[in-house]
Amino acid sequence: MDRETIAAAARAVVAEMTGAEVDGDEPLISSGRIDSLSILKLITKLEQRLNIRMPTEKLQPDDFETVDWIVDTVERTAEGL
Amino acid sequence: MSAGSPETAVALRVELERRLGENADRVLLRILTARNQKPIELTGRAILDRGAALARQLSQAPEGGVSLVLMPHSVELFLLHFGLILSGRLPAILAWPTNRIDPEKYQRNLLHQLRNLPAAELLTLPRLAANLGPGLPFRTVGASIEGAEQFEKSFAVDLAIEDRPSAVETGVSPGDAVFLQFSGGTTGAQKCVVVTARMLERQMERLAEFLRFGREDGVVSWLPMYHDMGLIACLWFPLWHGAPSMQFSASDWLLEPDLLFRFAEQYKATHCWLPNFAFSYMAAQKERMRGPYALGGMRAFVNCSEPVRTRSFGAFAEAFGEWGVRREQLQASYAMAENVFAVTQTPEGTVPARYPRDAVRQETGNGRGHAFDLMEDVYVSSGRLLEGMELRIRTAEGGEAGEGVPGGIEIRTESLFGGYWGNDGFRRQALSDDGWYSTGDFGFVSQGELYVIGRTKDIIIVGGQNVFPEDVEAIVNGAPGIYPGRVVAFGVTDEEQGTESLAVVAELRGEWEEGAAKRIEREIKGLVLSAIGIAPRFVRVTPERWIVKSTAGKISRSETRARFMSERHSGSRTGRTEATVNG
Repeated sequence: MDRETIAAAARAVVAEMTGAEVDGDEPLISSGRIDSLSILKLITKLEQRLNIRMPTEKLQPDDFETVDWIVDTVERTAEGL
Repeated sequence: MSAGSPETAVALRVELERRLGENADRVLLRILTARNQKPIELTGRAILDRGAALARQLSQAPEGGVSLVLMPHSVELFLLHFGLILSGRLPAILAWPTNRIDPEKYQRNLLHQLRNLPAAELLTLPRLAANLGPGLPFRTVGASIEGAEQFEKSFAVDLAIEDRPSAVETGVSPGDAVFLQFSGGTTGAQKCVVVTARMLERQMERLAEFLRFGREDGVVSWLPMYHDMGLIACLWFPLWHGAPSMQFSASDWLLEPDLLFRFAEQYKATHCWLPNFAFSYMAAQKERMRGPYALGGMRAFVNCSEPVRTRSFGAFAEAFGEWGVRREQLQASYAMAENVFAVTQTPEGTVPARYPRDAVRQETGNGRGHAFDLMEDVYVSSGRLLEGMELRIRTAEGGEAGEGVPGGIEIRTESLFGGYWGNDGFRRQALSDDGWYSTGDFGFVSQGELYVIGRTKDIIIVGGQNVFPEDVEAIVNGAPGIYPGRVVAFGVTDEEQGTESLAVVAELRGEWEEGAAKRIEREIKGLVLSAIGIAPRFVRVTPERWIVKSTAGKISRSETRARFMSERHSGSRTGRTEATVNG
């Protein structure tokens, strides 16, 4: 799976959750666009969209700070890519 | 009070040492510091020895002096709390910030909060100590802990401090004070409950009697130590009774909520305390969990610090029934730092009672009870009084309320506090002549069960954390384009997450312009988030004169909130009518 596919999925999930289109480097967690109780929801939606599994024991909240970081995180941790 | 209660801090310390000594070779504390590692295990002896060594190494506070402690979840934080107490100092744990704050604004705000406190010292991480030290009138110490770089990376900014405040008279602590506990608030004037030897010991004993809790029990917790539920129920309570507790951080729990179940099973825990939203959150995350876990051995999942929702309990019981969770394990408690912790608790083995909302006799007056709305048509009982606790309900007219009649909740208990510590030093709290304390909560009693409806104060509880609307309003008042003084913050029930969300309404100064309002709404969200680490879920910038005032010209939070809710449901945005309510 290439980075662009992952980035498109991440942008779509973020848009679905926040109602806004975001740039790749726009803060999501620290800006409050996505609250900390919703990070797992974001992960679940990403998994469903990309048909992957992201083991949460390898993840930190910071991994989801921007769309660019989400792409890195998926590449680093996802099983089934 | 029992004849054996320690009346002085010295006597309490001796008793704590004795209890830790009795469990010298027994693991009393397990602390997870990294999810890919095993928990650190501390025996009674290790807590005594390592706590004392750390206090000796870091603290120079005189006996009875206040040591402010600002540290993330770490072994050192736990050890330091007990080490400081055992060496005669009074620790006061400050909330470690979330990663959502703006480092500079956070530190400046912290300086503003701390600079007038009559503390002896601040113990924190090295970078923060270096940044804050020049702006504080007391000694600031940087303590190295494992992984400090990770926690400190946000604070790698140079903070220009122009003026060093003059020293504050530290005063003399009461001889019975053991530690201090901040009772809430985010940016405003901080005040701490002074926890005395007698208060603490009475709460430990009365709660244990009610729960029939002993050394064969165990606690599992992700709650922070700056919260009374984390510090008292989940740490002091098991430790005092020789039972082990397993502690991990809230951020680890958020990403791996089933850690709670895994540790409960692994270490045979019997009790845990959770705010209401945690029941909803865990149920919603069941699909991600790696269970099954054997949870039938848990004696109590106690819902505390937020209003109890039947929906949250129902979702939890339904999701985890197949892992052994039973309805009678799901209990409730009414607790507050001013009482050290619990006032009431569901009796073991019973399902919390419910009371139909329609059956409550509304003799409340003044629109009280607006503090938050119910999502449901029943109130859930917070249980029965512990021994040594008394409670009464005061009507708006000052009389004592009858069965099922709501009013202000007042308590008189063995573990009731006597005073606060703050900028003015140690101050006694004025109670009524006969020793009653008005809690600021609103509720009723039926069949000996307490039902908490809301707050007569406007505190907003977001994810178990107290937020004072005045703090948020003060922050937003500084936003450009806002009509100064025309800002209101309040709580809005968040049905999905089973907690409250923060909402802010502010009036735009001058001509109405939709584009400007939208821009300022985004700015306000960022401003509040960077200052207190909590993002308002709703921010609404309105035309002038939108916010509702009383006839006396005072802003009415409850009526502004009612208008906001009503227009939110109807979809209106810019109603220009000036609204006024009586009162």
